[in-house]
Amino acid sequence: MSRLVESHLTELRQKLLRMASLCEAILETALESLWTRNAVLAEQVKPDDLEIDRLDVEIDELVLRLLATQAPVADDLREVIASKMIAIDLERVGDLARNVAKSAISLADNPEVPTPPRLRTLADEAQRILRRSLDCFAERDPNKAAEVLDDDDQVDEDEDLVIRAAIEEIRTHPEYASQEVDFIMVAKNLERVADHATNIAEGVILAAEARIVKHAEKLAQ
Amino acid sequence: MQYLTKITARDLNVYYGDKQALFDVNLDVQKNQVTALIGPSGCGKSTFLRCVNRMNDVIDICRVEGKITLDGDDIYREGIDAVQLRARVGMVFQKPNPFPKTIYENVAYGPRIHGLASNATDLDEIVMNSLERAGLIDEVKDRLDDPGTGLSGGQQQRLCIARAIAVSPEVILMDEPCSALDPIATAKIEELMGELTENYTIVIVTHSMQQAARVSERTAFFHLGIVVEEGETAKIFTDPVDDRTRDYITGRFG
Repeated sequence: MSRLVESHLTELRQKLLRMASLCEAILETALESLWTRNAVLAEQVKPDDLEIDRLDVEIDELVLRLLATQAPVADDLREVIASKMIAIDLERVGDLARNVAKSAISLADNPEVPTPPRLRTLADEAQRILRRSLDCFAERDPNKAAEVLDDDDQVDEDEDLVIRAAIEEIRTHPEYASQEVDFIMVAKNLERVADHATNIAEGVILAAEARIVKHAEKLAQ
Repeated sequence: MQYLTKITARDLNVYYGDKQALFDVNLDVQKNQVTALIGPSGCGKSTFLRCVNRMNDVIDICRVEGKITLDGDDIYREGIDAVQLRARVGMVFQKPNPFPKTIYENVAYGPRIHGLASNATDLDEIVMNSLERAGLIDEVKDRLDDPGTGLSGGQQQRLCIARAIAVSPEVILMDEPCSALDPIATAKIEELMGELTENYTIVIVTHSMQQAARVSERTAFFHLGIVVEEGETAKIFTDPVDDRTRDYITGRFG
């Protein structure tokens, strides 16, 4: 039986998947521009970020329309709520990627300072976690999503190491303070990307299993 | 707050002649709550409702097996007076059906035939109190001698609720009580149900998923004469256990 709600949900999902792939791409471009100190490349994230924002607005409209006209329940309701949650996180990932691109432009404009080695590891980790969470969203796989939840310890550790190293560099080479602050900001932004990726995984679990797992560890204490 | 079981059905089988309408139904209804019965047409939910006050007795070919208890007492055992039972278990129907009498008489009729009022003052008090509990008093207090049938549909339905309340029932059964009403009258009845649970136990049959979700604490989903799933309403409408429940409430049923 074809249901009215079905076509709306399909449209919602398509928009989210498009948003997700733009997020992966924009982060990839931002990081590439950072590693290569390529300000021209960094500028190219703008249209993608704008497209993400546009999709975010369209998703809001669609969610409102769906709730108002279809009064979804059960799996449908969870899908709508989880979609809205995931859209918020994807939009934030877009913004964070844009921040990384801004740092890349700033770094390209200043004398070159070697990239802290741990920043590369941190970026790889953040990208890997984002990819995993988007995969489990695309596959609606709550088991994979549960694995993503426990996966950001490495990111936190790397962020900490990058920040410490940058502070140390500022002490010994105060003339490079601006560049080192950029590295700190990039590290912060990447750590946030990983956080949003875990939020997305939480949305997948809510949609699939009706379980609210966010803040579970903190609230259990 | 601890809830007590008001009604239990155990291994309930109901037949209309050769046709079986309910199959081994087991269901508990909690005291001072609204329990919603949902399911497609012909699923047995109204049959179940009519078993609870033995309305099915009046259908010759209807046969009831199994057990239904009210406060632990088997309502189908010998010696149970169905008329007395129906005073304890009132009913409100799909279409408002006031008697062709005055507003006052509609409500006074029950208490009078059940001998619940010792004098006219008593009866006045019961009538006014019932109209108040049914949320109708302000609209009719100045025209109690007008015919009940002259009220609007929503008012008529609340008059029927007042009439049911007047005999001090413990349970009120409602069979699609809002299906003939506009949204405003529906909202009033729904709001009233919440207030009525202070004193009564309510079982409502409804075709409106949203109504079931709005008014009830627990929901039972009937399909093909069986209870597929019963549970907390919030749980049923966010995370039903059975695929058939999910398919029905989300409109996937073909």
